[in-house]
Amino acid sequence: MSSIASGRPAGRLDIARALQPYHGPWDLRLAAHLLRRAGFGGSPADVERFSRLSPSAAVDALVGFDPEEGLADVPPGIDTSQYERLLLALNRNALSPQQVVQMLPQATQQMAMSSAAASSDVTIAAARAALSRRYLLPAMASAQRWWLGRMLLTQAPLQEKMTLFWHGHFTSEVLAKGTMPREIVAQNQLFRRYALGNVRELTRLVAQDPAMLKYLDNARSQKAHPNENFARELMELFTMGIGNYGEQDVRESARAFTGWTLRRNAFFENPATHDDGVKTFLGRRGNFDGNDIVEIIFQQPATARWFAGKLLSAFLYNDPEPELVTATANLLRKNGYELRPVMAVLLRSNVFYSNRAYRALVKSPVEFVVGAFQLYGISDVPLAALAQLARMGQTLFRPPSVKGWDGGMAWLNSQSLLTRENFASALLTSPLMPPNSWISDGMPADAKSAAARLVWMILHGDTSTASLGRLVSYLEGDETTANGAFSGENFAERIRGAAYLTMAMPAYQLC
Amino acid sequence: MKRNHFLLGAISGVTVAASNDSFFAKALAQPALPGMPGSAGERVLVLLNLVGGNDGLNMIVPHGTPEYYRYRPTIAVPPSDVLTVNEKIGFNPALRSLKALYDRGEVAIVQGSGYPSPDHSHFRSQQIWQTAAPESYESTGWIGRYLDGAALPKENLWNGVAIAEVLPEAMVGRSVDVPALSDVRSYGLRSDRRLDDRNAFTSLLSDQRVPFSSPYLAAVTQIEAHAQRGSEQLPKLIAGYRSTASYPATPLGRSLALAAQIIGSRLGTRVIYVQHGSFDTHSSQKRTQDILLEALSNALVAFYDDLQAHGNDRRVLTMTFSEFGRRVAENASRGTDHGEAGPMLLVGGGVKGGVYGEHPRLDQLDNGDAIYTTDFRSVYTTVVERWLGRAAHGIVGGSFPLIPVRA
Repeated sequence: MSSIASGRPAGRLDIARALQPYHGPWDLRLAAHLLRRAGFGGSPADVERFSRLSPSAAVDALVGFDPEEGLADVPPGIDTSQYERLLLALNRNALSPQQVVQMLPQATQQMAMSSAAASSDVTIAAARAALSRRYLLPAMASAQRWWLGRMLLTQAPLQEKMTLFWHGHFTSEVLAKGTMPREIVAQNQLFRRYALGNVRELTRLVAQDPAMLKYLDNARSQKAHPNENFARELMELFTMGIGNYGEQDVRESARAFTGWTLRRNAFFENPATHDDGVKTFLGRRGNFDGNDIVEIIFQQPATARWFAGKLLSAFLYNDPEPELVTATANLLRKNGYELRPVMAVLLRSNVFYSNRAYRALVKSPVEFVVGAFQLYGISDVPLAALAQLARMGQTLFRPPSVKGWDGGMAWLNSQSLLTRENFASALLTSPLMPPNSWISDGMPADAKSAAARLVWMILHGDTSTASLGRLVSYLEGDETTANGAFSGENFAERIRGAAYLTMAMPAYQLC
Repeated sequence: MKRNHFLLGAISGVTVAASNDSFFAKALAQPALPGMPGSAGERVLVLLNLVGGNDGLNMIVPHGTPEYYRYRPTIAVPPSDVLTVNEKIGFNPALRSLKALYDRGEVAIVQGSGYPSPDHSHFRSQQIWQTAAPESYESTGWIGRYLDGAALPKENLWNGVAIAEVLPEAMVGRSVDVPALSDVRSYGLRSDRRLDDRNAFTSLLSDQRVPFSSPYLAAVTQIEAHAQRGSEQLPKLIAGYRSTASYPATPLGRSLALAAQIIGSRLGTRVIYVQHGSFDTHSSQKRTQDILLEALSNALVAFYDDLQAHGNDRRVLTMTFSEFGRRVAENASRGTDHGEAGPMLLVGGGVKGGVYGEHPRLDQLDNGDAIYTTDFRSVYTTVVERWLGRAAHGIVGGSFPLIPVRA
């Protein structure tokens, strides 16, 4: 058995050249690598287009988006005002549980009734659950599909990729602690606006974000009873990491965030519950509030290293060398935590295009699914994709814990990989496949050329000659009598079979 | 840290002192500890996760404690309904069939299981119980760590099996890939493609001479190959098993039926994980929990009937756990909110049936929650050392006193 991978590539890092701009050969393979990392893989046409640019121009095209442009698009179907009205009526006894349930569609009603002996037995809890099924779950699914659709169709793939990065970093959870779909979408828009913006400013705004205020309980933190949940995670998981602060710093910063709460669903600094006494935090003394705490945190060297490590692990490879972390941390500080120039350096760097980074990450389920849709030119995310993603281990807006998704080995287990294979198999025969996709239209009719084209389109050539030979044999039908030889009759089915086999190969699971 | 001194000295043949690392050092030097029935190699541990936070107080009912009835005016189990164990506690009547097993001496109740500074979130609490690490974030689970170090044939895919849609954190190890499957039918390639697909598939998945190097290539290749081999093997390996036990037609009934089938087919399996729930009974608790408890009871009894019919009951120990107990006082919706300590059950495997540990005091609560009396890592330690025959220190992350649940 092989051992678990730490994620750091083998071999030695040339730190002197690591972050210098790459000037080597440029081809489809490296353009595809860039699009997988700075986006979700792109369509074959995107890869082709980027391969004709210089590496520097390709990166410019990715980092140069206008963040405001992407914000105009808002998801449909996330208005939960009817839910909130009915819930209020239920809680105030203005409507009985039966009355509420009777206002719902037949199918939802039946589910609510099935656990009750008689219709007059519908409990408040059953009515609440029925309301949630009728309004909240569809609104959540709608938000999830909307975001997946954005990833799929955006002209600014790096903006969506960074939004996903921030969602996994500054975690919050929809339908937990009363977080409504529209609130998680508003947080998502904050991440989209600051996708490549200032990290310090983003952190300050995250501390005032309604979904975050609910998720880590700061909305309930008052001078008399400070809740340490947010203050602790802010330092432990969001900015510095364990070992760079003490328990006293957690307690003192929790005092500084007291009174940061919600009023009418918006951030509100409540002077009545805010502790405006003197706090001692990371060696400084003053009447600090939350903004001061964020300022002090961003003066710590540990903070730059923390974000540097997270960015490198997400975009280059896991467990990056301390010297690479230091160099990237220096870059962050030099740029005053403005992310756009830093990401431009990383995506242009020698180390990014080196063997160390190439296919060195495991595709997340979202990268796998969105990437497959882009590969074949599918332009709509079906509802069924959400269940598939959940089985693969990733549900958007519902990270497994405040730590977000671990990535790497955590994506890999037998059930999740079988789900990926089954997803690929179903996709290739699904009615979603556009009739004019490259795989249906214009594939070469001889097995050798067809196999070569599949391996180029799906894996950008990342397979051995032996495997290519086996794909040729498969297409020719050497080992079977069931389908007969490669012919006009079974051409399409054979091609889809070979595409499925190619998508099941280990290389395709890597990013 | 609070220790369970009442347990100390009660263990026959072994001198244990709490926090005495020398004992565990000794145990490490002798990995194969003396056995319970059956040889160590044949023993199986079944983990049964009561997902959602089971209300232990309405499962094992403290009918002798007046506070219980004061805190729960509408949802307490009336004294006349309790299936009495002793003057203090008894079973919820929904557990009638399990009580019969208890009366035969095959069920051990460990009262008040928990840990210091309990967390109240489902996620984090699950993580704590699955990784056996209340104070740190661990990337491996306790069963994963056991399997990593156990002297088991590495080529065997079935050393550990999770009957769940997603691999539980408890089963994540450094060097093992535990298959997670919800049922045999869904564990497999759904492609209807023919034999030549499968042959091509097998060889393509083992392609290692690719024109790139990746720290994850070997792991992906291995896990994909296991998934493919495993999903083809399993239906054949367990096809010969016949059962006449009458399992309830519930998800847990189906999971335990599959577990018995895997155990009876002798695939070398040491640990099986199953789950049951959801026990997150914030409102109208009685209806939900009674249904779940009855399903639990009947499924467990059918499981042991099945095991016994095949001569396997003495080699299978089942341990229940749940991420937290629930608030002692009922809430305004006739339910209970997230709480702290709760009971764990150990069933079968020749355990010495009875009641272990102290019941949490209901007149001294931690912000309305029952305070733990036995660290759950004591139960894990007992199971690892006395059942699976390994030193537990590195698996549960410290030294915890054993619980004398065996004769």
